Amino acid sequence: MTQVQLRSISKRFGGFTAIENIDLDIRSGELVALLGPSGCGKTTTLRMIAGLENPTTGEIHFDDRDVSDLRVQDRNVGMVFQRYALFPHMTVEKNIAFGLSVRGTPRSEISDRLDEIIDVVQLGPFRQRFPAQLSGGQMQRVAIARTLITKPSVLMMDEPLANLDTKLRGEMRRFIRTLQQRLGITTIFVTHDQVEAMELADRIAVIFNGHLAQFGPPEDLYRQPVSVDVADFMGASNIFPGTMTGTDAVKTGFGTLSVVAQPGMADGSRVHAMLRNEGIDIHPANVEGGDDMVAGRIAARDFFGATVNYVVECGAERIIVNEQSRRLLDVGMEVRLDIPAERVWLMAG
Amino acid sequence: MARRSTESLASRLSPFQKFYLIIVAGFVLGPFIPLIIQSLAFRWAWPDMLPGTWWLEQRGKSMMPLAWDYVLSPYSRIWEATLNTVGIGLAVTVICLAISLPAARVLARERFRGKSAFEFFLSMPLIVPEAAIGIALLMMFIRLDLAGSYFGIIIAHLIPTIPYMVRMLTAVYQGLGRDFEEQAIILGASRWQVLRLVTLPMLLPGVVAGALFTFLVSTNIFLLTFFLGQGKIITLPTLLFSKIAGGTLDASAAGITLIVTLPGIILLIISERFIKEEAFGKGFGN
Ligand SMILES: Nc1ncnc2c1ncn2[C@@H]1O[C@H](COP(=O)(O)OP(=O)(O)OP(=O)(O)O)[C@@H](O)[C@H]1O
Ligand SMILES: [Mg+2]
Repeated sequence: MTQVQLRSISKRFGGFTAIENIDLDIRSGELVALLGPSGCGKTTTLRMIAGLENPTTGEIHFDDRDVSDLRVQDRNVGMVFQRYALFPHMTVEKNIAFGLSVRGTPRSEISDRLDEIIDVVQLGPFRQRFPAQLSGGQMQRVAIARTLITKPSVLMMDEPLANLDTKLRGEMRRFIRTLQQRLGITTIFVTHDQVEAMELADRIAVIFNGHLAQFGPPEDLYRQPVSVDVADFMGASNIFPGTMTGTDAVKTGFGTLSVVAQPGMADGSRVHAMLRNEGIDIHPANVEGGDDMVAGRIAARDFFGATVNYVVECGAERIIVNEQSRRLLDVGMEVRLDIPAERVWLMAG
Repeated sequence: MARRSTESLASRLSPFQKFYLIIVAGFVLGPFIPLIIQSLAFRWAWPDMLPGTWWLEQRGKSMMPLAWDYVLSPYSRIWEATLNTVGIGLAVTVICLAISLPAARVLARERFRGKSAFEFFLSMPLIVPEAAIGIALLMMFIRLDLAGSYFGIIIAHLIPTIPYMVRMLTAVYQGLGRDFEEQAIILGASRWQVLRLVTLPMLLPGVVAGALFTFLVSTNIFLLTFFLGQGKIITLPTLLFSKIAGGTLDASAAGITLIVTLPGIILLIISERFIKEEAFGKGFGN
């Protein structure tokens, strides 16, 4: 159980700044996802925590200990590389036992722990195979087992699921989550898939261009993103520019919405309003409603089975509404949208 | 695996391809036939197809050891030359690897100022004539009292071999990537363990090829050995030169020539086996 802290970490490669002043406080036993677009510095962050790269400025602490001067071998971290990096000239067994044999662990102990971990990752029938004779999911499990057998205090995974097909990815997600919870090991994993991050992580750190944009639980990032960029990256589709009128209403291209006052959103300031598409109720136009109703017309309908998406034209804007498909409304229908104040989230800019 | 595919390849050849193979084999092996005959001859004059007198016929009659008797006797100094050649070749190969591995690693992975200039200078020994290098080294080594020493010859042999080795290993390193070594370090391996357990085994095919090549080049270097050996240290090529310098190839010179080719042939066979079974046989390299 180890707590990991990055304190004002920056990393420059020559004149290029890959990481700019990141603070990150990861609790012990927590599973944190580093989420961000390609090239934003996720791998670089992991490499600094592992000790493969030295921060240009800042400190990294494990519990209360500064590990900046600790060699990689002495940090007791585990890392699963994006492409697994299984040693091609060793069998599954030799690969997994590597971390123990280089430390001079007695043979009998190696074989006990090998049996134990191979059981956990269900690789029994493949012990004597070489990596080239394994499927993607099997290679991944070897890589995880090889890392876990050394009992690292911090586990890092660089896009562990990127090379797997969709079905396998779901399976491996559950596998990783169960394993992590069972072992209670502090885990940091990198991904650029927000669904994966939300499903797996206790907290998500969103990184853009080497900056930490937001760090919090998945619900917070989904419901209360701090910026349009974060909202966009978390998959929000209804983001509209507007101007504050007072502190509890915003004037947009399709009318004025009442909102819950948010700190920093003063009268007259320009903002972006985000409406979660599952947070909007849609009614045929003849249904009476309160002040929060916005009138519009259904321009398109996407049927997904259990749920359905309506693209609703409201004034100059198009609002996407998602609801359960228990009933279906027709394209061309005049509708009214019920947008309660507490489901509107404001972002500066 | 590799062997099976060779067999099926051979059975799939068309008559023309078979004919072509025989021609190529003839070109490669052809010169050995007269050499072998010559080494067994006592007198073989043009335009006879075969020797008029064979060595075995004369064997009892001569006071001096003839042909193979001479070659294998202490008079020929062939054992001394073979030992020198193999010993120097091994030393050169090991030292060349020790120098080239780290150099290739840096060249493959790092960017630094003057890298392309460095790569250019690395090839210089291949461009400058061997005689010039030999003379220059000789003048230096005489002053340093290294002329006529094993040490001097080994240094001289490193000059043409390092450029090849570095180039070969750079290419291999480029294909390796750093993930494997970093993974090993994270798993707790020391630098030495990383090299021994991960890097070298993965570089193995390249290292074997480079080492083999270096050894063969070293065992074939004549001019540098001749200059720097000062007649005190003989190797197979210099011994051979002294036997054929007169312009004739008698039975004993032919015998020595055949022996000169032996280290290379043996090594080739060993390394072929080794590379196939150790590395590729295990599904490595894909
Ligand atoms: N050794 C290096 N030298 C110079 N620049 C580097 C080096 N390593 C990384 N960078 C740069 O730093 C930035 C961040 O790289 P990093 O590998 O951390 O990105 P990432 O978020 O992991 O991206 P991806 O999702 O594509 O893996 C990139 O612009 C990259 O080009
Ligand atoms: Mg990356």
